[in-house]
Amino acid sequence: MKKQPNIIALNKVNKSFPLAIGGTQQVLFDITFTIASGEFVSIMGPSGSGKSTCMNIIGALDSATSGTYELYGKDITTMSADDLATIRNEYIGFVFQNFNLLPKRTIIDNVMLPLMYRGITIDDRIRRAREMLRLVGLEQFETYFPPQLSGGMKQRVAIARALAGNPKLILADEPTGSLDSKMGNEILRFFEKLNRDFGITIVMITHEFEIAQYSRRIIHIFDGRITYDGPVPKSETTLLNSEKRHKK
Amino acid sequence: MTIGDILKESWISISGNKLRSFLTVLGIIIGVMAVVIMVAVGETVQKSITDQFSSLGTNTIVVRASAARSGGVRMGNKQTLTITDADQIKRLSDVTFVSPAQMGNSQVIYGNKNWSTMILGVSPDYAAIQDIDVEHGTFFDENAVKNAATYAVIGPDTAIELGLPENPVGEIIRIQNMPFVIVGVMKARGDSAFGSQDDMVIIPITTLKKRLQGSKFPDAVTMIALKIYNDSDNNVVIEQITSLLRQRHRLKDTDEDDFIITDMKQIMETMNTVTGYLKLLLIAIAAVSLLVGSIGIMNMMLTSVAERTREIGIRKAIGARENVIIIQFLSESVMISFIGSMIGLVLGVGLSQGVGRFILHYNVPFSIWPVILSVSVAVVVGLASGVMPAIKAAKLNPIDSLRYE
Repeated sequence: MKKQPNIIALNKVNKSFPLAIGGTQQVLFDITFTIASGEFVSIMGPSGSGKSTCMNIIGALDSATSGTYELYGKDITTMSADDLATIRNEYIGFVFQNFNLLPKRTIIDNVMLPLMYRGITIDDRIRRAREMLRLVGLEQFETYFPPQLSGGMKQRVAIARALAGNPKLILADEPTGSLDSKMGNEILRFFEKLNRDFGITIVMITHEFEIAQYSRRIIHIFDGRITYDGPVPKSETTLLNSEKRHKK
Repeated sequence: MTIGDILKESWISISGNKLRSFLTVLGIIIGVMAVVIMVAVGETVQKSITDQFSSLGTNTIVVRASAARSGGVRMGNKQTLTITDADQIKRLSDVTFVSPAQMGNSQVIYGNKNWSTMILGVSPDYAAIQDIDVEHGTFFDENAVKNAATYAVIGPDTAIELGLPENPVGEIIRIQNMPFVIVGVMKARGDSAFGSQDDMVIIPITTLKKRLQGSKFPDAVTMIALKIYNDSDNNVVIEQITSLLRQRHRLKDTDEDDFIITDMKQIMETMNTVTGYLKLLLIAIAAVSLLVGSIGIMNMMLTSVAERTREIGIRKAIGARENVIIIQFLSESVMISFIGSMIGLVLGVGLSQGVGRFILHYNVPFSIWPVILSVSVAVVVGLASGVMPAIKAAKLNPIDSLRYE
């Protein structure tokens, strides 16, 4: 099988936050990995491990304190806030745990939002948004408002919004965290479908091994360091052992 | 993002909290309405005064008798002006009409009705100086003055008060038991800054002095009114009159003038300046309420930014640049301000015109500049009150915003 080009390349990325009492706290240490186009990767780790910070950097929502981050071959480490906004709009689709839909905008308006910021004409926006709502099975709900929908439907709207801009990368932060297991599995199967049928790269943040099993690769972070990076193991023990090795 | 998108987004945000938006808009409505009404009041006062002075004529000069002073000591009474002074002033090349004048109050009787009014003694030139038109009959002539004839020209209000027929020319009225023949009735002129112009009886100056007042000094008058040519310089004529009267009154260099010259043009300019300041003062007071209204917008926008922190985070996460966020919040504040200004303008103009026409029965001048002011206010107040919240919103960190509960 032909090797796909890397779309994400982190090299010795460190991240520190200033503390209110003075000084800094480092939360990521020399994070180095690449993700190739078409992969379905889970970034796993317990609470406070630094996985969300890692996702923020990958999603161009935050910048590394040191090290480099290349997205689609562009070094975005030192880009301005506005340039990062453009990168997010053009390359990345976000799916959040708590959906992050605008409650006072209709479903179709929510889906069209990233297209509006890209300067696409209203007719094209509507056409594309309807296409995405059809893909997630919510075409008949386009005039509804988010509070009128169930959790699972809201997450499908969020996925439609993430896909509207035709990104090659979906970043999902605990996408099933606010859903029951049935709805959660439905969403994860949809991610599988997107990855398999449309070749969309999916990077998913989760702390649950069962959820990470839907992906084909796990990057395990513990105490701000990568302790495991490889195919999904048969059991979580492998990941826990990697944590123990790091502690030693 | 198109202008249509910006307007739609702004409208959704504003209409999302109707009561708060309404109260904020109300502040601007009251502010703009107050400014528009105050401008209308100021302009009405200014126009009213200008109209009254214009009707008197800016080329009208009035000389009044004043007590003579020498070395700061008051000398004699105020009988310093004479009919002869008036005749001499008329010889000045810039002067077109001159009339000595003296006024008093008296009962006027017609049949079984009597009415207390002003009796004004003048010469025929007075009609030209004051632009008096006669509705019925004529104004008396120089012969009437020369002969101290008992002729009277009466005001239309006086005619009504005395119950005179519609055309009373030839009717006899009695003033201090002396019969006067009505030779003319003035056209109605309305009120002036100095009272009614339609309630008076005008008689020859000589008749007033000699017959009615029986004065020891029949030549003395309290006032001389004159009109100069339109292209004449008021100041030059005033200097000529001053020089002539000082010479005639044999005043020494050290003596102060025993007369006061009042120039209508100067008075009108002074009144215009005063009413201009009055107008500014009224606008300044009204502008305070506008300022309060704009603070209301800023307060609402700051609250809105705080409430919508998460929304701002979502928008930034999916690609909104800082300037887009700034434009969105600025357009919201400008929209609020614009809506308020337009409603305030309509209410302000409507109220000032309505009250003026239907209650005060006065034609309130419509000025274009409240409209310009309102649109400018809408933009300036909207931008000024929205800029700080907008920048605050644009500078929010997307990660912190997304975590905001």
